[in-house]
Formats: sequence, C-alpha cells, structure tokens
Amino acid sequence: MFRNNYDNDAVTFSPQGRIFQVEYAQEAVKQGSVVVGLVNKTHVVLVGLKRNAEELSSYQKKIIEIDSHMAIAIAGLASDARVLSNFMKQQSLGSKMTYGRPIPPGPYPQTNTQHYGKRPYGVGLLVAGVDESGPHLFEFQPSGLTHEMAACAIGARSQMARTYLERNLDKFPDSSRDELITHGLRALKETLSQDKELTVDNTSVGVVGLAPEGSKGRIESFKLYEGQETVPLLEALERADGAAEESMEVDS
Amino acid sequence: MTSIGTGYDLSNSVFSPDGRNFQVEYAVKAVENGGTAVGIRCKDGVVLAVEKIITSKLLKPGANKRIATVDRHVGIVSAGLVPDGRHFVSRARDEASSWRGVYKGPIPTSALANRLGGYVQAYTLYSSVRPFGTTAIVAGWDSEAELAVDGQVGTGPSSGSGGKVEGAKGGGPGLYMIEPSGLYWVSSTSASASSPIYHPNPTILPGGYYGAATGKGRQAAKAELEKLDLSSGNLSLADGVKEAARIIYVAHEDSKDKEFELEMSWISSVDGPTKGRHEEVPKELREEAEKAAKRALEGEDEEEEEKMEE
Amino acid sequence: MNHFPEAWGRPRDDVYGAYDHSYLQTTGPKAHTSSPAVTGTSVLGVKFNGGVVLATDNLASYGSLARFTDVKRLRVFGSNAIVGFGGDVSDMQYIDRLLESIDIRENYSHHGNMLNAKNLHTYLSKVFYKRRSEFNPLWNHILVAGYDGEGEPFLSSADLLGTTFSAPHLATGFGAHLAVPILRRLFPEEMPLEEVSKEAAIEALKQCLKVLYYRDARSMDKYSIAVITKEGIDIKENEVIEGTELGFC
Repeated sequence: MFRNNYDNDAVTFSPQGRIFQVEYAQEAVKQGSVVVGLVNKTHVVLVGLKRNAEELSSYQKKIIEIDSHMAIAIAGLASDARVLSNFMKQQSLGSKMTYGRPIPPGPYPQTNTQHYGKRPYGVGLLVAGVDESGPHLFEFQPSGLTHEMAACAIGARSQMARTYLERNLDKFPDSSRDELITHGLRALKETLSQDKELTVDNTSVGVVGLAPEGSKGRIESFKLYEGQETVPLLEALERADGAAEESMEVDS
Repeated sequence: MTSIGTGYDLSNSVFSPDGRNFQVEYAVKAVENGGTAVGIRCKDGVVLAVEKIITSKLLKPGANKRIATVDRHVGIVSAGLVPDGRHFVSRARDEASSWRGVYKGPIPTSALANRLGGYVQAYTLYSSVRPFGTTAIVAGWDSEAELAVDGQVGTGPSSGSGGKVEGAKGGGPGLYMIEPSGLYWVSSTSASASSPIYHPNPTILPGGYYGAATGKGRQAAKAELEKLDLSSGNLSLADGVKEAARIIYVAHEDSKDKEFELEMSWISSVDGPTKGRHEEVPKELREEAEKAAKRALEGEDEEEEEKMEE
Repeated sequence: MNHFPEAWGRPRDDVYGAYDHSYLQTTGPKAHTSSPAVTGTSVLGVKFNGGVVLATDNLASYGSLARFTDVKRLRVFGSNAIVGFGGDVSDMQYIDRLLESIDIRENYSHHGNMLNAKNLHTYLSKVFYKRRSEFNPLWNHILVAGYDGEGEPFLSSADLLGTTFSAPHLATGFGAHLAVPILRRLFPEEMPLEEVSKEAAIEALKQCLKVLYYRDARSMDKYSIAVITKEGIDIKENEVIEGTELGFC
C-alpha cells in the first residue's frame, strides 16, 4: 500500500535525505482552495477563494483575524489551521498583556516534524501583519519552512496566481492600497476554472497596514471584506480589467 | 554492503551488521543538498557566510535570514533542512540562557558546542525520533576582557587586596561544526569543552576548526579554505570577510544556473568593529566583498581560457 | 550536661526548659522575604523638552550602616530605556539579569530590541504584581525612563506592590517626601513640558540630591545621573555633589 519503504512515518529519511511524510503533507495544502497575499510599501492584502460543500451550505472561512494588526489566510486542513490560529491568538494576547505592544509578525520556531507519532500540520498559512518596520507577509509550510515573501499564493491551482504575481511583482511596491487589492483579486481570478467566477459569496479580502501619515495611531487595523462589502472591490476589478481590454483594442 | 533493501535503514538507532547507522547517513544526504555554508576563524574574529539559493522570485529580497545569533557573542549557520536548523538554534539559545542562569555570564563557545553536540547525538539514539538533517557551524568570540558578572552593580573597594592576576588574558575566537551524528571536533590545546576555564595563551585558543564548510559546495569550499594557511593565524577579520565571500562564489560555480543571495555575519574581538558581538556584516562591506569575489572568478576564467588557447 | 553534637549551641534544658521544636517545623505557613536587606534610597526623575533625566546616589545601606559606596542603581536597557532602582539591591540585581535576558531575546529578531520604555514599564509592573500576589515581593520601587510608542518622553514608577504612577517628575523613597515638593515648585503643573530645558531638569535633580544628602541619613554625596534624549543615553556614574557644607554638624 505504500509507495516505498521510507514514507511510513515522519521520522524516516529516504536514502536521498528526503522525508516523504512531510512532502505528502505539502500535498494537503494543494487540496485547499487558493489564497493569495501581496505587499506594497504600507499594506498587506490577503485574498481567498471560499468553497462551500454543497449549494445550500455556507462557505468555509479562509481568512482569520489574529489581532488588530495581524491575520492569516489558510489553505489545507481547516481544523489544523484553527489549532494554529488559536495558538497565534494566544501569543498575541500574551504580548499585549505583558508588554502592552502588538506582537511583531515573524517566523517563530515551531515544534517540528522530528518526533514519532506527531504528524506535520496539513495546512499552509499566509501570515499578514504590520510592525514598526512596516508590512510583512510570511508563508508557512507544513514542513516548518517559513519565508518572508513580497507576494505569494498557495492552494489548488495557485501556480496560475503565482505566475501573475511574478509577472507583476515590480508594480506592487508603488501601487496604492486599492490597486493592491485589485492585483490580488486578479491573481485569484487567474486560478479559476472556466465555469467559475469571483462572486460576493466566494471572495474574501483582508487588508492590514500602516495608517496614513498624520492619523491617530500607527496601524490601520485589519479589515475583512466579505459578502456585500466585496461589491466595490469586485467592481473595481471589473473596471480595471475593462480599461485594460479597451486599451488593448486601441492598440490593435 | 548496500543500505537499501536490507531493512537496516528503515529505523533510526539501528546498526547494520557492518556497524553503520544508515538513517544518520541519509540525514547527511539532506545536508549535502543544502546551500553551502562556511566559517573562517581569523586572528581577530570569526566570519560566517552562507549561500542562499533563491527558490522563488516572490521571496522578499534580503529578508529571510539564515544565520542566527545565540546570546550576543555566538553565531550559528547550518546547511540542510532549514526547520531543523531553526530547532538547533532554538536549543542553542536555551542552553546559552540556562548557562547564564547558573554562571551569570556568557557561555563559552566551546561549552556551547559541547552541549549542542550532545543534544544532536541524542537524536541518533531512539527510533521515535529522526536525526537532525543539518550540519551546523557554530562561531563565537569569548571575551578576552574581564567581563562583569551579570547583575554586578559596582567594582568594590578601590584599595586593599584583590584576587586578580595582572595582565591575564583569556578568550578568543572559536569555530565548531556539528554533524547529524553529533560529531564535532575540538582541538586538544583548547580549554576542554566541558569546562569554561580559559587557556592562558590566547593565540592557541579556543579551538575547533580554523575553517569549516558544509552543504552542497563543501568540497570546493574546503579546497579553498586549505589554501588560506589559516593555522598560521595571520588572516585578519577584514580579509576573512573577503575570503568567505569569494569561497561561497567559488562553491556556487557548480550550480551556476541558480541565482543566490550571500548572507554574512561576523564576530570581532572586543576592540574590533563588532565589539565582541555577533552581527551581520554591514551591507557596504558585503557588497564590496561580493564585487571582489566576482572579479576573482572572472580572472580565473580568463586564465583558463588563456591556457586553453595555448 | 549533654555533650552530643545535636545539642551543641542549644540552650540547656536544665536551665531553659525543653527546646520548643515548633520553631523548626518545616510544615505549616511559609514565610518569604518580609523586609529588604541591603537597600538603596531615593530615585529621582524629571521629564524635559525632548527627554528624561534620572538620578540616584551610589550608596547601598545595610540597615543604617553605609555598607557599599559604589553601587550603580541606574541600569540601562538596550539603547532605549533606563531603570532607576530604589529598595533591595539583590532584588535589583535579579531584575537586572531579567532585563539582560529580555534584551538578548529581543535582539534575536531581525529588527533588534524594539521594546520601548513604556513596554518595559508595563512588563516590570506585572512582574512586581505577580510576585506580590505570591506573597514573595521584589522589594523595590523603580522609575522607568525613555520614550513611549509615539516617541514622547516617558517617565513612570512601579513599586513592590505592582502599583504604577506616572508624572512629569517623580521620586521614590525619601525623595518622594523631600524632592517632589521642590520639583513641583520648580516645574508647576501648569508649566508645559516644552518650557523645561534639559539643563534646568539636570540642575533641579542636583539640587534635590543635595537636599537629600543633607536630610536623608541613608544617602551619600556620590551619585549617578543619566540623561536620555533622542541622541541616546548619556550616563555618568561617578559624580560628586558639589558645594556641600557639613561644618555645622
């Protein structure tokens, strides 16, 4: 039943030095619906495609607020993500209680995949947050690898989104908050199969960033757009795409 | 005897009939796939460098650090599985902090290497765990000046008897490499790894490696390190930074198709540029070293071409 | 007479009656520190336009004995904050090591130690409160000086009970009685912080130290003074109060 002798557990190296169980956990992330994250100079945007089990059921949450300055987007096993998000919420509250400061986002060492009987988490996370040095976006993988990214997409068909992000990477830093959201939605749209489109029901957008100069407080608190609130964002995407098409027609 | 198919390689802490632990050997394979890391012990400091292969264009440039600080005076870089490396660093920090809790001062690099060696070795003993998929280079500078005990509030009476030896000096650079088996080397002239007693002669102190290399390009890097004649103790820290950068560039030649970032850190003596602390090499200095490294490589290529023409 | 070793040093039963073993019981209520041992006296602090200045003398007393005359009671935390300690010196040393470990841990992050004085004060007040709730207090009264999250000068106190108090000028110990009235006269409530110069603040503290040296029997004329501004921390630890006249004694 096993593909080879070395993939029974997470504590066995293959002769090439690989750990198959961890690589398989990585696959669980690809089963989840796609989430995209991207950063400009002041903000981080998370966008996610929500799925529903059946027509009459509600949609699975993709973006979870950790604190007013931090949120995560998830792809993979949602129950694993809940364990991790609860942990992060506790850490964050702890920091606020003891130091009176929001916890800086960052790669924290985690209990890893080195012990028998423990399995790696079957979920990938995009962590978006701000601290005094600005906005940050981290990708967390089941292997325990964490990377700080300029932009990132994980989940089913996320390769299409990554291609879009790579092509437009140099536009992000100088784009405005709204433009960044549009870029995120467009990356998300790239991943959709032919018969699907972004709707108010299946789209989630989260934004957190530094407050504009001269305003009270340094942080623009995390804002989650869902349902009807996404209408203006989706309309902005449509307008931008329309404008792009028109200009292409002019070119031809 | 081959390892595969015998069944002796399926579990950790199992010896094969010819006395090998295959799981540890496989862990070494994970190290050999990782980006090259080097450490150079100079006369007035230690330098660490690592080649970070850029696996995605979407990574934030310059953000994902691979060299970590332990306490204030030790740096650790590892090749192999990055999360295992982070676990290793986390343990090192705990050890350094517990040392302070007992001895009220910074942990000597040799003692830290000793404790970490023991920790890594423990992960080869049980079938419920797997060995570390990393080889770590631990670099530090034990202060040569007399340090105040943590929490010390004054110097005491200025007159009267005291127990100090005038002009006594200890401390110095230390460089150690800990492999997945838990193996590490200390030189016999150094203070014994388990005891923090300083050797009276700082020039032959605290030991370990003069130069260490691990990861994919370790062979090329070791060959370059050997050319430096490090045991004579003439290389300055400033030159060490340049050599470390050049060696990473040389080691990268075999995987030229992949882009990489160079990350470097250093620890100088107390009167040097980092004042005994482990810090990132300043950007200007690193870029200068990288330029020189590229020039050196181009120079070699030209020489080879000339030879070919001849 | 009983010559067995277990009776050595014990009052003789035939003279004093049987020894009352209830004194040596290991069960029952446990007592922690109920008084400080080696103590430092006042800590003084004043906010000025753009920074804060703190001062303490360099004496640690053992009861009424001037036991240690070279004790630095202003401790620097990272590059952003100073803590001035009054009260028990060994508890101060414990907290100092605690601060050291926090500074080391904070520097592990790529951006270095980002805890400001306000964060530090929040933390320390919680340490004090936790310890007193365990009936094992850290016997100190501290002032924390530096900047808050908005970059404004910050000065606040915390004591062994976990009580916190903040004002433009503060003093602990004997100074709370002797120095605060002087500081209030020099810098009245309605006086905006912008009008308090660094020089005036330093001069005021020197004046307070002198009054304290005259009146507080647990003080001495050697002192430390630390000025924290946006440029950094300027700390002097071997100053001497000038122009003292003790001929009248």
